[in-house]
Amino acid sequence: MLRSLRDTQAAFAAHLAGHDRLDLVAAIAGDPRTALQRLQLHRHHVASSIGAALAATFPTVAAVVGQECFGLLARDFTACTSLADPVLSRYGEHFHRFVAAKQDMHGLSYLADVARLDWALNVAFHAPNEPRLSDADLATWPQEYLPKLSFRLPAGSSLVESAWPIDLIWQASQPGTPVDRVDLAAGPARLVVFRRCEDAAFAVLAPGEAVFIKCLSRGNPLATAAQHAAQAQSDFDLATTFGRMLGLRLLGPNATT
Amino acid sequence: MLPPAGIGLRSQHLDELLRTSNRSVFLEMHAENYLRPSPSLEKALQLRRDFEFSVHAVGLSLGSADGIDDGHLDRIAQLVERLQPALVSEHLSWSAFEGRFFNDLLPLPYTEEALEIVARNIGRVQDRLGRQVSIENPSRYLGFRCPSLTEAEFLDELTRRSGCGLLLDINNVAVTAHNLGLDPADWLNELPGEAITQFHLAGHTRTVLDDGSTILIDDHGSRVCGEVWSLFDDVLQRFGPRPTLIEWDTDIPPLDVLLDEATRANGALPRADTRDVALAA
Repeated sequence: MLRSLRDTQAAFAAHLAGHDRLDLVAAIAGDPRTALQRLQLHRHHVASSIGAALAATFPTVAAVVGQECFGLLARDFTACTSLADPVLSRYGEHFHRFVAAKQDMHGLSYLADVARLDWALNVAFHAPNEPRLSDADLATWPQEYLPKLSFRLPAGSSLVESAWPIDLIWQASQPGTPVDRVDLAAGPARLVVFRRCEDAAFAVLAPGEAVFIKCLSRGNPLATAAQHAAQAQSDFDLATTFGRMLGLRLLGPNATT
Repeated sequence: MLPPAGIGLRSQHLDELLRTSNRSVFLEMHAENYLRPSPSLEKALQLRRDFEFSVHAVGLSLGSADGIDDGHLDRIAQLVERLQPALVSEHLSWSAFEGRFFNDLLPLPYTEEALEIVARNIGRVQDRLGRQVSIENPSRYLGFRCPSLTEAEFLDELTRRSGCGLLLDINNVAVTAHNLGLDPADWLNELPGEAITQFHLAGHTRTVLDDGSTILIDDHGSRVCGEVWSLFDDVLQRFGPRPTLIEWDTDIPPLDVLLDEATRANGALPRADTRDVALAA
């Protein structure tokens, strides 16, 4: 018998997690069969709404595996990872680990990396829209200081690297894209993910550019980042890469020495 | 003061609303969709310069025996502070237990113990926000076997104990009455009309359970049906006009459809004694 509100909510929570509770059924008006059907409405709604939220956060994964398979993935993920926050866009940070651990996904080895890209785009989309460094800002600084400066990437920016061409997989998943096949031998992907004014986006990086941005994001000054980038890619060109980052608005406004 | 009719703010309509010269409606924001920075939040804040707003929360879990999540309440408070809406509302339901959140408005047993807990939780929210919160009657799909109070009695007592307002969702009255075999007129008879600050109107769907009985699902995915419009007329005669919102949360139609529904709601409101809703301090 459910004696308190807390007892009732504990039983309801167990029901929503998939465990039928006879004491809860007995507390509901009507015959037990009808009571159970009505309780199932809530169980179904919770599962389907969280599944829909995950699909919204991981649209590329959902496009790759199809809605039906994604629904099963989401069901299994939500069964072992409870929602801790009413803000649904915060849910799914570790979904990529879950995908990587799924034995029956072994035919889709790239899927966990696709999930990482979807999550990075979600994080970037929900990042504050900070001011960015511009050409005009840069022109006011003494050029001799530049090599010693450290630049911060804007909030929400991240580097996503994969052995698979996840950029091409993402492009193929976009609505209206005529591509229905991706060459998985197209090579690794190095992507910088960032927030734009209206949305989140990524840019494909050369090996040296990826090293350069990784070094900058760790607080290294420009000269050090350029040295590491040149070791990774012999034809790395600092001016070209720095100009590209400015063009993509990938540098925060406050450089430090 | 809110205009007589409003629509739910949907991300699909943000750009069109920013371009429109039609400022005759108020906009209701689902708080949990705008607690994180995003392009959508920035556009909503731009819209606030030209539109009156109400804020509708869905995740405070006012009925939780565990109490209110302080972190979530703080985030809601920050949004309310930025937006300065005319009204803030939440639901008579619960959705969290021991740190787990369930994305649903779950039913409460209407007992004296639950009344005390909900009134206490509402008090905490109102203290933190520094303003009155209106509580919405939920759509219900089941009833508990031994309630001490009817839903309307529970709401009535809640307004007395906590000082909260009531958000009367007329679609929810129709849905609950059908699903639990109640008479909507009886339900309305027990309601403290003077506490009502806002009306909600929405669409619902009908589904058949295994035992052959039909049940109404409050999915906010279609136009307001004739039965709910009729009930709206009855409510207006009983309680007089209040700011009235068209909710539409699934299968979102073009903005014109929402505005058309708002125009219809506006047309049903008596002109003479539209009740002002003062901007809360």
